[in-house]
Amino acid sequence: MFQDESSSVTSSSSPLQVFSMMSLSPKLGSPYPWIRELKSEERGLYLIHLLLTCANHVANGSLENANIALEQISQLASPGGDTMQRMAAYFTEALADRILKAWPALHKALNSTRITLVSEEILVRKLFFELFPFMKVAFVLTNQAVIEAMEGEKMVHIIDLNAAEPAQWVALIQALSARPEGPPHLRITGIHQRKEVLDQMAHRLTEEAEKLDLPFQFNPVVSKLENLDIERLRVKTGEALAISSVLQLHSLLASDDELDRKKSPLGSKNLNGIHLQRALQMNQSTSGELLEKDSANGYSPSPDSASSSPLSSAGSVKVDSFLNALWGLSPKLIVITEQDSNHNGSTLMERLLESLHSYAALFDCSESTVSRTSLERLKVEKMLFGEEIKNIIACEGAERKERHEKLEKWIQRLKLAGFGNIPLSYYGMLHARRLLQGYNCDGYKMKEEDGCVVICWQDRPLFSVSAWRCRK
Amino acid sequence: MPVDVDNSSTVSGDASVSSSGNQNPPPKSTAKKKRSLPGMPDPDAEVIALSPKTLMATNRFVCEICNKGFQRDQNLQLHRRGHNLPWKLRQRSGKEVRKRVYVCPEPTCVHHDPSRALGDLTGIKKHFCRKHGEKKWKCDKCSKKYAVQSDWKAHSKICGTREYKCDCGTLFSRRDSFITHRAFCDALAEESAKAQTNPGSEPDPKVLAVDSSPTPALPPASPPVSAPAPVEVQVSAQALPQSTSAMTSSVMPIQSSELAEDPSSVMEEAPALAPGLNGSCSSGVSSVSNGSSSSSSSSVFASLFASSTASASLQPPAFTDLIRAIGPPDCPIDPAPSTPIEPISLCLSTSHGSSIFGSAGQEHRQYAPPPQPAMSATALLQKAAQMGAAASNASLLRGLGVVSSSSSSAPQENLQWGQRQVEPINASVAAGLGLELPSDGSSGLKELMMGTPVFGPKQTTLDFLGLGVAASGSPNGGLSALITSIGGGLDVTAAPASFGGGDFKDMGRIS
Repeated sequence: MFQDESSSVTSSSSPLQVFSMMSLSPKLGSPYPWIRELKSEERGLYLIHLLLTCANHVANGSLENANIALEQISQLASPGGDTMQRMAAYFTEALADRILKAWPALHKALNSTRITLVSEEILVRKLFFELFPFMKVAFVLTNQAVIEAMEGEKMVHIIDLNAAEPAQWVALIQALSARPEGPPHLRITGIHQRKEVLDQMAHRLTEEAEKLDLPFQFNPVVSKLENLDIERLRVKTGEALAISSVLQLHSLLASDDELDRKKSPLGSKNLNGIHLQRALQMNQSTSGELLEKDSANGYSPSPDSASSSPLSSAGSVKVDSFLNALWGLSPKLIVITEQDSNHNGSTLMERLLESLHSYAALFDCSESTVSRTSLERLKVEKMLFGEEIKNIIACEGAERKERHEKLEKWIQRLKLAGFGNIPLSYYGMLHARRLLQGYNCDGYKMKEEDGCVVICWQDRPLFSVSAWRCRK
Repeated sequence: MPVDVDNSSTVSGDASVSSSGNQNPPPKSTAKKKRSLPGMPDPDAEVIALSPKTLMATNRFVCEICNKGFQRDQNLQLHRRGHNLPWKLRQRSGKEVRKRVYVCPEPTCVHHDPSRALGDLTGIKKHFCRKHGEKKWKCDKCSKKYAVQSDWKAHSKICGTREYKCDCGTLFSRRDSFITHRAFCDALAEESAKAQTNPGSEPDPKVLAVDSSPTPALPPASPPVSAPAPVEVQVSAQALPQSTSAMTSSVMPIQSSELAEDPSSVMEEAPALAPGLNGSCSSGVSSVSNGSSSSSSSSVFASLFASSTASASLQPPAFTDLIRAIGPPDCPIDPAPSTPIEPISLCLSTSHGSSIFGSAGQEHRQYAPPPQPAMSATALLQKAAQMGAAASNASLLRGLGVVSSSSSSAPQENLQWGQRQVEPINASVAAGLGLELPSDGSSGLKELMMGTPVFGPKQTTLDFLGLGVAASGSPNGGLSALITSIGGGLDVTAAPASFGGGDFKDMGRIS
């Protein structure tokens, strides 16, 4: 019976054959003895299938089946294994988290005693900065754009929307102090949620500036970005302002999506329409409702977030008003670094499929550049990538902060907010390419798109950097 | 007598007063501010526009006795004391003096706008001279000219102290212009061309992909390490100035993690070499004309690389190299590590080269030699999408039919019904996975979904609620029913689990 299958497909689909044959024979002993014998590629393919199946089940609310799929995945996945195994481990954790959120109290109880060490968070960010070139390239491009924009300026004020890594500004201080016309008076305002991080930054930067005899002042602003009070930035007239935003703007897209769905005309085409209506009216999410809403939107042809206009959803209100506030400061330059992937689809499956591809690239990159036994790599994968994946997959509404979007959407948004693109200079890109070369890994690619730079792993775009000015 | 600028409220021929225009009224600085920063106009500061004559004038205050000129009235008054002339030092006025800011008289200048005014009188004078004035001061060592005397003095202190010399013989005093020059220098281009053609295995695709300038692909700093980075940076940053003056060649010392810290020095560090190898390397670099020396320098690089990157990069480059080896057949894999970039990876790949090339070009080998690097996740995803598309509909469905007929007939009906309904859903869902292969997108995911039940053990239970969902009649139900009914089969522990599943389902239903 299975001969047809094998003849009609290439030899690479032999796993299917293997599995189908296995399914007919009764099992003895452990449920999945044959799993152990899988080679890494077959295992990887099987993991992908299982992940998709599991996600389907989760989206439908069929928890028992999801549980079975999770069980199978757990036999194969491992955070210390090969790329696909690691990815599967984090994706299944995210899916399990999502299932658990159907019982909000249970979820809260399980996470109630979790300790988050600030030092660990800081360390992970630092590790990501050092193990991978993405942040460095972004910093190099940002700094170069700043240097060029501030040519001839005596008073320079820089606002860093997430002042976590001193290295960026240390480099800028060094470059500015070597300027032929002499260093400007430099003022950096750093925004961060944690005071300790800002203290560290202040110390490091003032030390560097004093060493190089550059007039410098650091203003810390302890605040969440969404609650930022623009007045606290103390922008003064007469100074040239530059703003640097590294992976910060996407979190402002987070909003209560339920309100969006009510307004969306596609909200009515749902599975179990009656249940959904009731759910919307009650406007709370009990376990079943969440799952139903999920299943409802699991497969409905929702608007692809890449095609809809940015102003159509409530989520963009926050980011648009933030951009407007920034525009009101009349910055000379604003440099924006963002992830270049569409992880903001409205349905789980959309986001799962997209994030499978993007994080596959990131995990591949990690596999190719850092040893498997490295604890640092494990930490970055777990506490950075894993948390992002968890947020993308398991969270909804205002909780879902990792709303990465493609560069075209950001370009649209920024143009609407009154900014005009400044193409990144050739010299800056030269710097950045040299840096990438220094990583001795030809998987890293950099390409230019409409004056913006996109950093890729092989063919998959991962991060984009773009520079903007105020258009009057 | 020249007009006394201190008395700015008078509408004199030279001075005019206007109030500053504000865009945003930021709050006043707090008491914590140490000193008032130069050139930063207060929002309610007084804007003063001086004429060019006033700005350029020096020694406007002249002593009537000896005709000595002074820039400030206070200084003149003190001088007059010496002549026993009546003198009057003006005290600071009792009432709070309004802060003054100055604009540049040149209309095309940025600082002509009151919002960009400078707060310092000396500053605006210097600015005007520098930008709009004649350059009267010349450095005697080089030919640079300056309009402001202090600039000229500052330059002549530095002139000739730091020099960078390119291989082509051009001298630079500025680091950044030196770097830019090197990127395009012809001499270097020649050298890199020789290095590329000689061993014959320079990875051209890689170079093209990175789209870099034609400098030789010299081994860059080792992959960054985490902890000791800042310490190293400090040390190396200080080491740099001395070493650059010491060196006459174009070679710069290696800084392992300084890549992160200094974008301007990145340019230097990227084509860097270990300090210990300076002697041999510079000889290798400079004696480019004969190909043999380039390969010797490459081998030097190779050994450098072997030592410095042993820990981290042993395994990983093999994989990328493997993929590349499989791809274009003319991409050579030299037995001898002749390129500086991947000596280790080349060694590793040669051990597998034979097995890979021997396998008729197929990248998937079930029984490949043991240390086979894992396929990248990206490739696996593409393959999964391909596989799903490759398997034909009919055979898989028949396979499903076989499996499900072993249990009751109801799920089979479901399946058949489900198939018909599956199509409309496929496009959106399959599009995700099938993105890479547009031609295969439609059936890709469906096959994947259908493929799953075949993986698991024999179907033993029914999912009644799955049927219920299917019966609701919406297209969405079709695929989900398919999955759930098949998924019921994945349940090894038959009755209790499905019971539990049923419970959960019920909970879910009752909202």
